[in-house]
Amino acid sequence: MIADWLTLAFGAVGLVFFVAGTVGMIRFPDTFSRLHALTKADNLGLGFIALAVALQMESLADIVKLAVIWALALLAAGTVAQLVARAALRAEGSEDRDA
Amino acid sequence: MTGRRIRAGAHRAVLFAALWLALSGAEPAGLVPGAVLVAGSVWLSLRLMPPRRPLRLWRLVAHLPWFLGNSVLGGVDVARRALAPSMPLRPGWRRVQVALPPGGRVALGGELSLMPGTLAAGTQGGALLVHLLDTDAPLDRAIAHEERALAAMTERAGNG
Amino acid sequence: MTGWLILFAVALVLTLAGALWRVWRGPRRADRMMAAQLVGTGGVGVLMLLAPAHGAAVLDVALVLALLAALAAVGFVKASTPDGAGDPEEDAPPAGARGDDR
Repeated sequence: MIADWLTLAFGAVGLVFFVAGTVGMIRFPDTFSRLHALTKADNLGLGFIALAVALQMESLADIVKLAVIWALALLAAGTVAQLVARAALRAEGSEDRDA
Repeated sequence: MTGRRIRAGAHRAVLFAALWLALSGAEPAGLVPGAVLVAGSVWLSLRLMPPRRPLRLWRLVAHLPWFLGNSVLGGVDVARRALAPSMPLRPGWRRVQVALPPGGRVALGGELSLMPGTLAAGTQGGALLVHLLDTDAPLDRAIAHEERALAAMTERAGNG
Repeated sequence: MTGWLILFAVALVLTLAGALWRVWRGPRRADRMMAAQLVGTGGVGVLMLLAPAHGAAVLDVALVLALLAALAAVGFVKASTPDGAGDPEEDAPPAGARGDDR
């Protein structure tokens, strides 16, 4: 019963961070700031979602797997943000507007 | 095989074995294939990424709570800025001189990219290019702390 | 309970759709590359939320998606930089680098 309430709370908090990431993606004025929003807010959102779902899983193996997925996502986000920022910086100056 | 190679191999074997146990749910039927896969993965990883500096695993583990706490703060910070009607942003750049061994700069960059207000964008002349969400925020101490923590994870060459 | 989780999943898909607006509008290539990261994190979140209703096998899909999204992003970056550079440690002053504070 308490687990259910906690799941609702964590899920809602996770969703708020995903919404914040989206709002940042839309509102922030430059590419790099948008990358901040996407990397940090979405990953924290994913962490809360993982927590919410973990409370509903029965086997320990599934909970551990949730943790591993989040850890991988975190690792990937840090690396990918860096790569994308670097690519954006390199393209700056040269024409990179392909729209 | 040098001692350094054996040590790095042992570290990686522990890591891969833990990952296998997590993914397979530690099922007894999966132990034998797991052992084969871990051995193969260690061999492949030593070939593709030869060990550079020995890692202190316990330092890495000790650093985790700090890192997790900061990445939570990072998410809260950016969410607050995105959702606030006034959207307080002062984007800007900073060069951070880094004296970390090879591999260390990428690790630092990846970590900074998850911490409040900083985003690494590659290196230039040995310095890490960091994008800041708020150029007024006092981030120098946080960056320096992070660098020291990472430096402490690897041992100086020679005594490993 | 699973009803709530599915509702969360639907809401999450909606936030992804909002962020896709930015991918569509650009204007820069890097804005579009973020799609890989977006679908990675968001898609993994959706799959996690479906796990209690559809069985833990969904988690394996989430795991694979998390890994593939990272690889996709690396591929985007490699394809978009002129010399296919991917190593952030490689010292290459970008064309229009703004290293100084400004």
